[in-house]
Amino acid sequence: MKPLHITINGSRYDFLVGEHEMLSVVLRERAGLTGTKIGCSQGSCGACTVLVDNEAVLSCITPALRCENSNVTTIEGLASCGTLHGLQEKFVKNGAIQCGFCTPGMVMTALDFVSNNHSPSPEGIKEALSGNVCRCTGYKKIINAVAEYAMEKRGEEKEKEKEKEKEKENTVGKPRPYIEAAKKAMGAAAYADDYKIANALHVKFVRSIYPHARIENIETGEAMKMAGVRYIATGRELPVKFGVLPISQDETAMAIEKVRYAGEIVAAVAADTAELAAEACTHVKVKYAPLREYLTIDDSLNDIGKDEKIHEHVKFNNNVHKKAELRFGDQQQGLSESEVVSSMSFEMEGVSHGFTEPHAATAWWDENGLTIITATQVTHYLHRTLSKTLGVPLSRVRVIKPYVGGGFGGKSDPFPHEIIISHIARQTGRPVRVCLSREEVFLTNHGRHPSRMTIKLGASGDGLLKVLDADIAIDGGAYSSFGVVTSYYNGVLLQAPYKLDNFGFRTFRVYTNKPQCGAMRGHGAVNSRFAVESLIDDIAHRIKMDPVELREKNLLDSHTLTVGQYRITSNGSRESVRKVAEQSGWKNRHGKMEYGHGLGIACGFFISGSALPIIRNELPQSCVHLKVDFDGRVLVTSGANDIGQGSDTMLAIIVGEVLGVSLENIFVMAADTLLTPVDLGSYSSRVTFMAGNAAKNAADNLRLEIADAVSKRKNIAVQELNFSDNRVFSNDKSVDLSWNESIDILTAGRGAVSVSGKYISPRLGGDFKGSGAGLSPSYSFGACAAEVKVNPETGHVTLLNVWGAHDCGKALNPLAVEGQLEGSWHMGMGQALSEEMKYHKGLLLNNSFLEYKIPTSLDTPDIRTNIIETIDPEGPFGAKECGEGALHPVIPAIANAVYDAAGVRVTKLPIRAEHVLALIKSKKKIAV
Amino acid sequence: MKEVKKKYLQPSSVSEAISMARQYSGTSRYLAGGTDVVVNKFMGNDPAECLIDISKIIELRSISENESHLRIGSMVRLSELEQNTVVKDNFPALCSAARAVASPVIRKTATIGGNVLCENRCNFYNQGEWWREAAGYCLKCDGDICIATGGKKNCFSKFVSDTAPVFISLNAMAETEGPGGKTIVPLEEIYTGNGLNPRNFPENSMLCAILLPLKENKINLFRKLRPRLAVDFTSLTVALSVNREGDIKIVLGGVDPGPVIIEGKFAGSKEEIIKNAVKKARIVNNDYYPREYRKEMIGVFLTEMFGEIENNYR
Repeated sequence: MKPLHITINGSRYDFLVGEHEMLSVVLRERAGLTGTKIGCSQGSCGACTVLVDNEAVLSCITPALRCENSNVTTIEGLASCGTLHGLQEKFVKNGAIQCGFCTPGMVMTALDFVSNNHSPSPEGIKEALSGNVCRCTGYKKIINAVAEYAMEKRGEEKEKEKEKEKEKENTVGKPRPYIEAAKKAMGAAAYADDYKIANALHVKFVRSIYPHARIENIETGEAMKMAGVRYIATGRELPVKFGVLPISQDETAMAIEKVRYAGEIVAAVAADTAELAAEACTHVKVKYAPLREYLTIDDSLNDIGKDEKIHEHVKFNNNVHKKAELRFGDQQQGLSESEVVSSMSFEMEGVSHGFTEPHAATAWWDENGLTIITATQVTHYLHRTLSKTLGVPLSRVRVIKPYVGGGFGGKSDPFPHEIIISHIARQTGRPVRVCLSREEVFLTNHGRHPSRMTIKLGASGDGLLKVLDADIAIDGGAYSSFGVVTSYYNGVLLQAPYKLDNFGFRTFRVYTNKPQCGAMRGHGAVNSRFAVESLIDDIAHRIKMDPVELREKNLLDSHTLTVGQYRITSNGSRESVRKVAEQSGWKNRHGKMEYGHGLGIACGFFISGSALPIIRNELPQSCVHLKVDFDGRVLVTSGANDIGQGSDTMLAIIVGEVLGVSLENIFVMAADTLLTPVDLGSYSSRVTFMAGNAAKNAADNLRLEIADAVSKRKNIAVQELNFSDNRVFSNDKSVDLSWNESIDILTAGRGAVSVSGKYISPRLGGDFKGSGAGLSPSYSFGACAAEVKVNPETGHVTLLNVWGAHDCGKALNPLAVEGQLEGSWHMGMGQALSEEMKYHKGLLLNNSFLEYKIPTSLDTPDIRTNIIETIDPEGPFGAKECGEGALHPVIPAIANAVYDAAGVRVTKLPIRAEHVLALIKSKKKIAV
Repeated sequence: MKEVKKKYLQPSSVSEAISMARQYSGTSRYLAGGTDVVVNKFMGNDPAECLIDISKIIELRSISENESHLRIGSMVRLSELEQNTVVKDNFPALCSAARAVASPVIRKTATIGGNVLCENRCNFYNQGEWWREAAGYCLKCDGDICIATGGKKNCFSKFVSDTAPVFISLNAMAETEGPGGKTIVPLEEIYTGNGLNPRNFPENSMLCAILLPLKENKINLFRKLRPRLAVDFTSLTVALSVNREGDIKIVLGGVDPGPVIIEGKFAGSKEEIIKNAVKKARIVNNDYYPREYRKEMIGVFLTEMFGEIENNYR
């Protein structure tokens, strides 16, 4: 240890620090300034950026001792007395903040850049931010925020601001930043690893080095002898199986008899410091007896002879986890009616959510039982899982979700680390912390399934789709996660947005000895959508019909049923495809540009919440409580998980709209299983529709209570009362009360009033087995157009433009909706062009932000965002989902653009340069 | 074995640094910007217990010019090099190379010396301790097999400096100082082409400066193959220079354990040069892009660069 004298945000500190300790650790753990985030510890994500002597540095790779006598500015040093710095203000105002985890680093990087570049170009800004990963925004709003700040600093553009102020307050449809945006901008929002519970132990894991092996022995004695090591847990202590779906609970917190993937947790060491725990892990000796490894879909589909299966419970002598098959209409008939049939085989690599905040949690026990603060999308399912695996009553488990740095489906399962630290906390009587490394986050996976599929699409000569048949196999990895649902979604979600009378699919999901796959943004249907939209493009070319026209011809109408009995209500697919066609100059440019330059288009659709709960029971899918007390403040409590997508703000907007009060009077408390009523969680794009409807229902109930009280006191009919602009008034103004006056009347002689609201999905769907898959009270629709350049010499695809349109029913908060859409399209671009999980003998090769290629700001083209509104009859104020469905069309739009540019049909994801080049060459050969 | 404790030293002069290195000989490493070394340490790939941080040594931080040479101190940061007007005017390829490194924030910390000397990379080596144990340690981490090739003799970790190929193509010299005093050698001579020990440096000596001849060069070009426009290390770097006599010097990076140097006459056969370059590069499958593709891209890049010269400089 050495002394370090350092000034941080103007305050002088003297610390004793480790010789090789990094500045990020000093800031977070010693100075308690947790605004600086650690996303990778390897200098590849930028979340830890701070200023040292006014220069941006990555604090996670800056030795603290280098900063002796330096002046460090962190995100906490920018705002003064709660007033945001101008740049922070721009981030807030422009909606550049979603999950907020990248925000501190992004702001510090941008600040350093703008102070050296007074008139930056958009390209300059993109380059400056290119080392900072943002997974939520697609960078567009961040770049806008920086540009606006630079402009304002130069003294330009102030008038617009004033204009905006005139806009009406608190109405649905007003673009507004998240209610917590300022807190995130200041680095004051606490994420899971920012909670420093006193006296906490740190946990690190011993992970399997074999993909498939029997555990013969685990020797913990030597590690246990080390000073500061307090507990070592192994699998036998937690034998109860769990899994997010009740029908496929096949995982234990740690491997017991055998390991099923390289990286699986075998033991957990709790020690006084994280370093010590990590060191002790190297002294835990595990003896393995390797088993035959199944690493590919074929390995697991075929009969495995005398070798050992991955899971005992699998029905046949292979590793097939699930076979899902449904058929509607008459596919043979459909084929015979088809004049053109396009059939292709596709392969898609697995991809990862890439959220910037690593999994982290802290757990402790007290007189109320277990409390765990954890980065989760599903407090409710975790609540149930902890109760089950730890053998404690539901009433003794409290799950608290702090601010979460992105999820995208990657935090929508209960996780082993959450169970393990809860267990160790019970065994030791001390709080226990864990924070996964970026490598461990990749190993935890639950990302999109590697897939391969052969799909056949038939159409009449005039372009009417007659039949679709899909034969699909997906690689689930070692455990089931959401896999049963994924298996169905790959197929069933092909029955829209086009009318198809004859349709069938079969999906095999196999277990393999790799980290498990699960739900990821656009769950289940992203890959098969890419395939089908490619086939549609092919058919259009073969019958010489414009791909836009062909799509329009087949799109489902609103208020109709699909062949599998999905009830389509509002449907903006036509407007969406027309919009992007028009903006991209489709008519004049598609098929008409020089070789190497192309335009592509595609459509998509998605569920707006699953109509069926995962665990069948009679509870509502969402319940929201409102409480109003003498001070006029409305407390909204909801179990819905805001993971950066803005659901807290959505709830506040809905409640504010119904009650006619501004958002300052509304306080949202969410996702704490002690304090908030059950909501099933943030998955399947259900929150706006379901929690939103529950909030609306609750607000309607509260409004009724208020109206009732005012009506009695003022002798006026309830129907005459209006709620607007923080007032309760009658049309003739004979009653004209301020909000607080009306609350005085409500609470008189009664005190605080609490009401409840709920959402239960209507009964939907057919009565056949599997009819529940993909059922939703509403569906979203959308389209994308993409423009690419393909270099015929290198095969490299450059994405020049993306135009997107998405029918979200009604944009409750257009700024947030745009953010969701742009983030979806950005994530789709990544899967289309650069992202894939690559394995070497079952070991994940690219387990870092350096090697897992999320598009940087420089790789992200201009995005044109269009919100299509159709006012859904059952959505809250007409709203439906916008967070996942938008991703579907972007990948095929890019692939179809490659076809338009170079005449080659890409059937593999990601679209790799060497594949495109090979296709171009083989086409040339055929031409010769 | 005597136990070595972690150390962090901050010398203020070259001679002080060298004497510290001698004191901790065998367990020390000079730390320039640290953007490479610190990450390698985090991954468990750099066992050095004593870090000698040379970032405070003022004498290493300047760019100066005499009649024949530009002298770039090894601790000049990449962001400073990008902005230097002499470099911009005379060596646009060097500017491009500096700008092609990592990200702008990293370039504010990363130095020329660090980039020129950065450690070789390989998909199977740049992994955490757990991963390398699971894969079976490779040659470069004291194992007995190259995972990329299955061979037992040679390590094919890639030489990945973006700036060094340009320097070498411009006949730059490396000025080093060690316990034995100062030496000046052609930069290419410090690379061994051996993936296990890619640099040939007298023990405890350090790179003090790069000397860049000012008058010889006429044209210099730079290309880098990588999946993204920022952050990524190179999958293939091509630096090309043509001097006043029409001699071409091509240096490839990212495709061999060391820089691959091909010399020829601009007037001569381009096909021959390309064939030669492809033949000399010992490419293996240890990168984002497959071996065959990178091989092919050598020719594509060179053809493009030759074309650019024909179009713009003739």
